Amino acid sequence: MSDMSIKGRPHPASVIGTGFTWVSAAAVAAVCFFIIGYLIYQGWGAINWTFLTTDPQASLMAEQAGGIRVPIVGTAVLVLGSILVALPLAIGAAIYLSEYMADDSWFTRSVRLGLEVLASVPSVVFGVFGLSVFTLAIFQDLSSGGAQGADTAFGRSFIVASIVMGIHILPFIIKVAEEAIRSVPASLRQGALALGMTKWRTIRRVVLPSAAPGIVTAAVLGMGLAAGDTAIVWLTLGGSINMAVDNWWNPSQWVEVLRGTGSTLTTYVYFNSPAGEGNAPGMAFGAALVLILLVLVFNVVAVYVGRRAAKAGKR
Amino acid sequence: MNETFITADPNETFSMLEGMLNASAPRVRSTDVAPVFQIRGLDASYGSKKVLHDVSFDVPEKRITAFIGPSGCGKSTVLRCFNRMNDEISGFRSDGTIQLADQDIRGKGVNVTALRRVVGMVFQQPNPFPMSIYDNISLAVREHGGHVPRAKLDAIVEKALRQASLWDEVRDNLKDSALSLSGGQQQRLCIARALAVNPSVIMLDEPCASLDPISTARIEELLLELSTDYTIIIVTHNMAQAKRISDRVAFFLMGRLVEMGDALQVFEAPKRTETSEYVRGAFG
Repeated sequence: MSDMSIKGRPHPASVIGTGFTWVSAAAVAAVCFFIIGYLIYQGWGAINWTFLTTDPQASLMAEQAGGIRVPIVGTAVLVLGSILVALPLAIGAAIYLSEYMADDSWFTRSVRLGLEVLASVPSVVFGVFGLSVFTLAIFQDLSSGGAQGADTAFGRSFIVASIVMGIHILPFIIKVAEEAIRSVPASLRQGALALGMTKWRTIRRVVLPSAAPGIVTAAVLGMGLAAGDTAIVWLTLGGSINMAVDNWWNPSQWVEVLRGTGSTLTTYVYFNSPAGEGNAPGMAFGAALVLILLVLVFNVVAVYVGRRAAKAGKR
Repeated sequence: MNETFITADPNETFSMLEGMLNASAPRVRSTDVAPVFQIRGLDASYGSKKVLHDVSFDVPEKRITAFIGPSGCGKSTVLRCFNRMNDEISGFRSDGTIQLADQDIRGKGVNVTALRRVVGMVFQQPNPFPMSIYDNISLAVREHGGHVPRAKLDAIVEKALRQASLWDEVRDNLKDSALSLSGGQQQRLCIARALAVNPSVIMLDEPCASLDPISTARIEELLLELSTDYTIIIVTHNMAQAKRISDRVAFFLMGRLVEMGDALQVFEAPKRTETSEYVRGAFG
């Protein structure tokens, strides 16, 4: 009988390889948990109801430094503003890219190249660009405050920041939205066309509703991105912590608020970090924790919406 | 699984099965009627690959015409020429004329969406929209009819579902998603959807390919009923099906129309050897 022995040790290389992958994954998870843990440890103490609902006060004493209500509202305003700028453009572009574009013309390739370039521009470059554009005199209405001359605008405001941020998040939203539209089965389009529906109506009534959950995911991811950016905000929203007007919650003041400077959670964190002028690290960590939770919520919602859509499609 | 099988009246099931077994003789209905489609010299190619060569024939009105032939012979391509769905495929070219009721379908002034209303299509895989049963049917109706009052829309939806033999099964669940229906029901929904816009021709591309025998029998019965009011063109791989329901048969092979004639003649006394071999099952 030939040798049919089946005993033996696993090959050392495969043990080491498997072990290495396990250790890598564990290390990544450990780093994540460490960061979150450290933030919680440092920032939890600063968070209380007062912290979340009072405006920041300029003060050398930590107890009197106020809260983060303005930055929270600022983040909300900026996220909303940038999605209003980006979403219609993104959906339109995504539809064009997936439904209308012929695959090989020079125009097609230029558009795709342009998007790739846009996606890789660092946000601080967007900030500088935005600042230089929006300080041109014709944009005076978009920002107020500072030394307004006849030939320059201040160039920093919620409006300006929303526009620049909108452009920054545009390529990400387009990419995800285009995926969502492309993944609508061709058979649905064929069915609609065969019934005598025009291409545009097919897109509007059949393709877009089917792709809606994916587009919502794209929007939510974009909002998360907008909430987390610092460079654009610091440069185009101004370095101030508070809103331009005192009673900013009053609707009649909202145009002035939008034309004025302010802060978001990201710039607040920077301002109060040891690198900024505020030097209140406890507050910075508190704000950082709130920010992380916010971005986490955005991502969870995006995943949840995406999963529900996948399930509905398979039913 | 097809739940209609389980809940169907056993007598009905038996008589359907009996009908299937007995349907060895082709139908007999005169096809000497005015043609609704006249095709002359149709050539077609995808890019550099030529798929149709000089195809010419007539499709009789209010009869069932079956296109048969092995895979890749061009029968689906011909079908898609009739409603110009091939226009959507880049690289597609065609020559020759196709006349629908004496109108050149590629003539000047022809509105493709109007053509596709008159010439409806049902696909091999059921493709209902991910919407309610009601919306699936009403969507194209509203597209062609503009603003249709609710009561009239309800009536159109009901009529289409009755014609497609689906009304009794869904009348209480019109708001349910179309995707919750079984395969056979979805295909009947697609037929109802095509009927709702009031076409004159209904084309079906292997509509029963993915269905079980009971659903297939129901759809065949449905097509027989519909053929009194509509011109039906069906592409089928299933020769027994062609024998069961068609009045006229066109046999395609490698992009050419080899033979066309009354179903009785094509199956019992084919004129060409290729037809005879295919019908016997020697290939394909």
